[in-house]
Amino acid sequence: MRWIALQACIPTEAGPCAMDALAAQQALASLALGFTPRVALVDEAVLLEVSGSLRLFGGLGLLAQQLEQLAKQFFKSNQAVVHILREQGATSLIAIGRLRQRRHTPASLCKRVADLPLHTLSAARPHLGVLERVGCRNWDDLLRLPRDGVARRFGAPLLAALDRARGHAPDSYLWRALPERFDEKIELDALVIHGPALMAGVLQLLTGLQAWLIGRQSGVCALKLVWHLDKRRDVAPTGELVVRTAQPAQDLRHVARLIAEQLAQQRLPAPVHSLSLQSLETQKLLNSSAATASLLMEARRQGDSALELIERLSARLGQAQVQGWQPQADHRPEQMQCWVKAQDAIKSIATSNRINWTSGLNTLKIEDLYPSWLLAEPLRLKVAGDSPLYQGRLLRLAGPQRLEATGWWMAGDGISDKAGQKAGDEVSSAAVRTQPPAIRDYFIYRSPQAGLLWLYSERLPVATPQGQGQARAWYLHGFFA
Amino acid sequence: MSPPNSICRALPELAALQQVWRAGELGSAALRTVDTGYAALNQVLPGGGWPQGALIELLQTQAGLHEWGLLAPALAARQASEPRQLTVLVGAPYLPFGPALGARQLDMRRLLSVHAHQGDSPSLLWATREALQCADVSSVLAWLPDARSAHLRRLQIAAHAHDKLLFVFRPPGVRLESSPAPLRLLLEGVPGDAQNLAVHVLKRRGPPLASPVLLATRPARLTALLAASRERLRRHLEELAAARPVDVSLWSSHALDRLASLHSH
Repeated sequence: MRWIALQACIPTEAGPCAMDALAAQQALASLALGFTPRVALVDEAVLLEVSGSLRLFGGLGLLAQQLEQLAKQFFKSNQAVVHILREQGATSLIAIGRLRQRRHTPASLCKRVADLPLHTLSAARPHLGVLERVGCRNWDDLLRLPRDGVARRFGAPLLAALDRARGHAPDSYLWRALPERFDEKIELDALVIHGPALMAGVLQLLTGLQAWLIGRQSGVCALKLVWHLDKRRDVAPTGELVVRTAQPAQDLRHVARLIAEQLAQQRLPAPVHSLSLQSLETQKLLNSSAATASLLMEARRQGDSALELIERLSARLGQAQVQGWQPQADHRPEQMQCWVKAQDAIKSIATSNRINWTSGLNTLKIEDLYPSWLLAEPLRLKVAGDSPLYQGRLLRLAGPQRLEATGWWMAGDGISDKAGQKAGDEVSSAAVRTQPPAIRDYFIYRSPQAGLLWLYSERLPVATPQGQGQARAWYLHGFFA
Repeated sequence: MSPPNSICRALPELAALQQVWRAGELGSAALRTVDTGYAALNQVLPGGGWPQGALIELLQTQAGLHEWGLLAPALAARQASEPRQLTVLVGAPYLPFGPALGARQLDMRRLLSVHAHQGDSPSLLWATREALQCADVSSVLAWLPDARSAHLRRLQIAAHAHDKLLFVFRPPGVRLESSPAPLRLLLEGVPGDAQNLAVHVLKRRGPPLASPVLLATRPARLTALLAASRERLRRHLEELAAARPVDVSLWSSHALDRLASLHSH
């Protein structure tokens, strides 16, 4: 049996700390669960029984070192000044006793277990005064007393504790287990009126979440933040926010920034008194050692990844404002490509390799006679006589190039309006109007100010003798930049 | 006024330093650059290309006039060398058209287009800065008509810190304002046959450049098409002239339109 006792000490002189002692202890216990399943919270310390994990981590020294390093990184990344004390022993009470001795008198080093002072034994604490007067100062003194006398004078618990400390009685605790879902609630120190001011509480919750994730060796994909509002008559009691990330994240700085962006846009109808955070979706991280290593600052790349960029931009500007590109198979220039929400196409953007343009993989037609800018909506131009105007008179350079897109696929566009067709002819005619057959003549014009323009004039599908008289409609569709 | 030689003699160790740039020469040392794809332009730029990790300010009368012709070769080369990196467009005036840009060897799937609501220029600046800070972004193109010098300074610092290729497009009205950009170019379309773009170098690390650099940025087929149309038109006019005396007004665009519309009907 090998026991490690850990304690997170929060120095008082360092000013207000991001975590209180209990939160730090619980976080430490969650971190320790990544090393062994036998972790218990005992008084102020975290106890680990590590004999089962020694081989995996390469010995007690290495294991303890890794654990301490991880904990240091964890607290540092959460801006908490926390000292971590660590001691080990053959039984849990020895480990705790050494820990307490270390904290009490940091300079003195007790070589022998028997020399540990009695106040380091929890069971002896109620009787310290009496023991002192009897002349018992350390564990050894207590062991020298007759057993039955000790049992009569101080009660059975002290004797049992002594047995456990010496390894004569089994040493067992209620092992700590992490819940399947993270769900924590905190009361805020003060009522909060502005959304961004909630971030302090959110960071506190995220610290707990991160410790939970490390302990479970998983990453979070979706989480829900709920704020509880002061009771008002016409206001809902809670408000909530769901944040999703494309990659399971264990380092929550990115998640924190996403939440901050979204909170900045929130208007709180009433003051908030408490916050709760729930994990909705988590994924096991396959290579958990890599995941823990990613906590180390030096292992991180400079800057964030494309996924994080897209998510952050989408959170602040709106999903429709961040777009990625997708090709489409169609003749009509405006249908050849499609700018879609980047967040929906996020996986392909993040992972796709360079496309081989020459291969037939792509339905996209490559054509260097097309303009490099396309207008989202063709711009109807004014006409002087028979020629179009755009920022003044234009000079025709080339054309016409005919485009005729009429056929079954055009009818396919209207299928979504099938239900509407029963309702009446008006609706179906409206559907036709939204997707008219494209019969166009494209021209290249030059404008003295705007460079080369891509214009088209629309031809009527049925050539009527009267149609000749009426002026053709001219549209601006693109720029050769 | 002592000749440069005497300076070298007075401070020999200064002349030997690679880091020292004399204002009479083109700055070149310690500059990482990206080939512009145009030899004439490379010659006048310090370091022989677009400087990486610096703000490059491009002034043009309207957004959407000369961007792709000028930048596509460099962006395509950049994408080819780092195929996983993104190119981010911030506040693009129109939709970049995939078929045409694909023909210019750009990988459209690695393009990310970011917009903001009308008149929300702080968000555009923010998005530009975020993109510069992203490790997976190689180059950023930003259209920032409302940006002020202090904003650009922050972008210049971000581009420098993260070593990104950053192009900012602004109207020529800001030409007389001070700018933190180490390279400022004014783009002007010219109606020439071979060359269609005049690049005025307003500011560079080097002596001022008096005359603009002329570039042919159109795809070869487009140039050929335009030349062929013009040739056809000229021949047509010659035939007309042979038939009857030439009317000068025939050269106006109106007459040309009528001529061409004969073809289309």
